[in-house]
Amino acid sequence: MASSRRPLPPPEIESRLRAQFGEDVLAFEDQFGHAVVTVRPARYREMARFLREEPEFDCDYCDFCSGVDFGDSGLEVVTHLYSTTIGHHVRLKVRLAREHPVCPTISDLYPGANWHERETAEMFGIAFEGHPQPVKLLLPEPFEGHPLRKDFPLMTREAKPWPGAVEGEEEEEEE
Amino acid sequence: MGLIEHTPLPRLQPIKFVLNWGRRYSLWVMNFGLACCAIEFIAASTSKHDFIRFGVIPFAHGPRQADLLVVAGTLTDKMAPALKRVYDQMPEPKYVISFGSCSNCGGPYWDSYSVTKGVDQIVPVDVYVPGCPPRPEALLHGIVKLQEKIANEDIREKWSGKLTAPAATS
Repeated sequence: MASSRRPLPPPEIESRLRAQFGEDVLAFEDQFGHAVVTVRPARYREMARFLREEPEFDCDYCDFCSGVDFGDSGLEVVTHLYSTTIGHHVRLKVRLAREHPVCPTISDLYPGANWHERETAEMFGIAFEGHPQPVKLLLPEPFEGHPLRKDFPLMTREAKPWPGAVEGEEEEEEE
Repeated sequence: MGLIEHTPLPRLQPIKFVLNWGRRYSLWVMNFGLACCAIEFIAASTSKHDFIRFGVIPFAHGPRQADLLVVAGTLTDKMAPALKRVYDQMPEPKYVISFGSCSNCGGPYWDSYSVTKGVDQIVPVDVYVPGCPPRPEALLHGIVKLQEKIANEDIREKWSGKLTAPAATS
C-alpha cells in the first residue's frame, strides 16, 4: 500500500501527543527514529486508541507488547505500535508499581496484542485489566511464579552456579 | 506376545538370532522433533546419510506403527505429557533414542525454568546421542549401537519384565 504521506518525525509526534495528553505524557525520547512515550497508566488505553484512530498517526499494527523488570523501581509495560500505511513507529511505556501491577488491556483495540498480554502477564505478573481471556499462554497451568522477573529463583542455579560467570560480574549480580 | 512367551522357540540360538536380525533391521521410526535437532534427523533420513540403508524406516504413520522413538530437541515441561502419551501409544518392543544435548540433559537450557532436564525422566532411553546438534553421522552411530543392543537381546527375558542391558552411549 503506497502512501503519499510521510512518517511523522518523533519531535512532531511528541508535540501532538503533548497537546492532546498534556501532563500525562511523563517522558518522551527519540530512540533511533522511533518515538518513545511514557504515559500514565490511566491514559495508556486512551493514547493507544488515539494513535490508532487519528488519521495523522494511523497506527494500525501492534508489533509487540512486553514487559521490563526494573527491580525496586517497578515494572514497565512496553507496547510497540506501527503504522503500515505511513510507516512510523511509536512505543508506549507504562510504569507500574511492583506491588499489584495492573495495566489496562488494549487487546480489544489490537486483537494481536491478546497473546502478547497473556505472555506478559504470566512472565512478569502484570494483570491486564479487562483482558478477555486472562489465563496462561506458554507456561503449564500449575506453574508458580513469574520467570522473567529478576527475583525469580532458578532452582538449578541454587545447586550449581552458572559456569560462564566472569569474576566481578558475579559480585554485581549479588549486590 | 503370548505366543512367543509360551513357545520354547526363542530360546534356541538360531531362532533368537533370526528374530533379532529381523527386528533390528526393520525399525520403523517415529520422529519426535522438537527443535533444531529434528533438522539433523531429517538430514540423516535423506539421500546423503540415508539411514534407510540400516533398515530404519522413517515416517511411520503414527506412534502405533513405530518401533523406535527419536526424541530430537528441547523437551519442555509443558510438552512432556505429550511425549509420554506418544511413548505409551507405541507397541512393544519399543526403543528410544535421545538425540542431542537438550533431550539428554537439558543442554544449554540446563538452568531454565521450563525445560525438562533430560527425557529419561519421562521415558526410558536406550541410546543417548550427544551433540548440539549432533551431526547425522552421530545419529547413524547411535542407530548402529541400538541395533547391537537389539541383537544381543533376549526377547523372552525382556517381556518377562527383566531389563536386558543398561543404556549404551554412542
